[in-house]
Amino acid sequence: MAGMIEAIALSKTYGRVRAVDDVTFTAAPGRVTGFLGLNGSGKTTTLRMLLGLTRPTSGRALVNRRPFADLPDPLRQVGAVLEQGISHPGQTGRAHLAAQAILAGAGRARVDHLLRYVGLGHAADQRTGGYSLGMRQRLAVATALLGDPAVLILDEPANGLDPEGMAWLRELLREHARKGGTVLISSHLLAELAQLIDDVVVIADGRVRWVSPLAELYGTTARRLRVRGRDPRRLWSAFERAGARVSADGQALAVVGLSPEDAGEIAFGVQVPVYELTVDTPNLEQIFLDLAGAS
Amino acid sequence: MIALVRSELYRVVTIRSSLFSLVVLGGLGLLIGWFNMDAWELLAGIGAFGLGVMQVAQHHQHRTAVLLHLARPRRLTVLAGQLVTTVLVAVGFAVLSGVSVLGRGEVTQFRDTLTVVPLMAVFGAANAAVLRRPTWVFLGWTGWFLFVEGLLGRLTAPLPFSAFLAAGAGDRQSLLVLACWTGLAVVGAVVAVRRDLTGD
Repeated sequence: MAGMIEAIALSKTYGRVRAVDDVTFTAAPGRVTGFLGLNGSGKTTTLRMLLGLTRPTSGRALVNRRPFADLPDPLRQVGAVLEQGISHPGQTGRAHLAAQAILAGAGRARVDHLLRYVGLGHAADQRTGGYSLGMRQRLAVATALLGDPAVLILDEPANGLDPEGMAWLRELLREHARKGGTVLISSHLLAELAQLIDDVVVIADGRVRWVSPLAELYGTTARRLRVRGRDPRRLWSAFERAGARVSADGQALAVVGLSPEDAGEIAFGVQVPVYELTVDTPNLEQIFLDLAGAS
Repeated sequence: MIALVRSELYRVVTIRSSLFSLVVLGGLGLLIGWFNMDAWELLAGIGAFGLGVMQVAQHHQHRTAVLLHLARPRRLTVLAGQLVTTVLVAVGFAVLSGVSVLGRGEVTQFRDTLTVVPLMAVFGAANAAVLRRPTWVFLGWTGWFLFVEGLLGRLTAPLPFSAFLAAGAGDRQSLLVLACWTGLAVVGAVVAVRRDLTGD
């Protein structure tokens, strides 16, 4: 399938350290896949193996069913954003893109278009050494888009971007996926990507801990109610009799295993006035940290 | 390969420090060549070596080697492109800076130097492909030149820089020795270029 990214039993060992251990996942066209893990979990090493920059100790890294090194015209198939914006500090943004455009077979018009597209039109003739981190990230995105590739691989692209920049990047990547492109994006913050990704791969200590659509990750946490009433003891025992798991949450009770309707009816049944009854949305960041921290 | 060479040449002229170095070295060569041909020969050869080192090592220093390898994943193609670019830049530099030598009618020394310059450029670039850090290359070879070739070898041993000095003066045997050292460095680069590109 065009645009498919596949990591198959990918491992990388440095001396005695197994940085990446038997990592398997796919990123499909038309979807944004979040590759999540804490710092040092093996995300960057995995992405570098996918891009042919690091040789796997074992396993296979494929893009469009081929190792990266075997891709004809790779810049027209894969765009990558790595290491918080790579450029020579003594070169202007325009010259940097033009040098890469020669390699990608893209023209000057494409360079000018991309500089405007990423919001660097005004700084095109400044040397990149004077760019802010956010500007360097925007230049890196423009570099990745030079060959108009179907596959985008981005390693922590949000680093250095302000909220406006992050919103811009989110829209750009969503649009890319809507057009049928494949996006694989890494981050150590799930909350940062929650509004962007369709699928999630969680890696910890070099091993994949979770692979699923994002919605399924939400579903791993049972819905929790927060109930505050006049007589917490009576409510507690009534809820437990109904089969719920109850714990204290400050002045209120945390109830798992009941719907809000059931909880309301039970409280009414035992004649305890209820002052508050809310449904806690699943704490996605906590789910991620639980998975990423598991070792 | 042609696109790679074009891109590398474009980088040379659009990176301010690279262009500045070329202009300063070229101007210095023109001036020196008018007064002392041997000094020009030394400048052209060592300049070619330095340009070769910087051509390759800058990519590692500023991480742009990553972009190069994303565009051309075949490592040997990248190495070949860089060596060709280095030769073009070094020969261009030597020709332009040697105009004053030609003006004095010293065609033989000009020709001998132009024979040595590509070898020195490739030698420098290949060393940089192995070590990846310009400081290590420059400091390493400076120490080697002073202590091994200078003090121990008295600049007559069949070693790279001694061979360069003699070959520039027209010694064919030394040219062969320098070519062998350059070939050895290229073999090292061919092996080393396959290493992983590490992160920050």
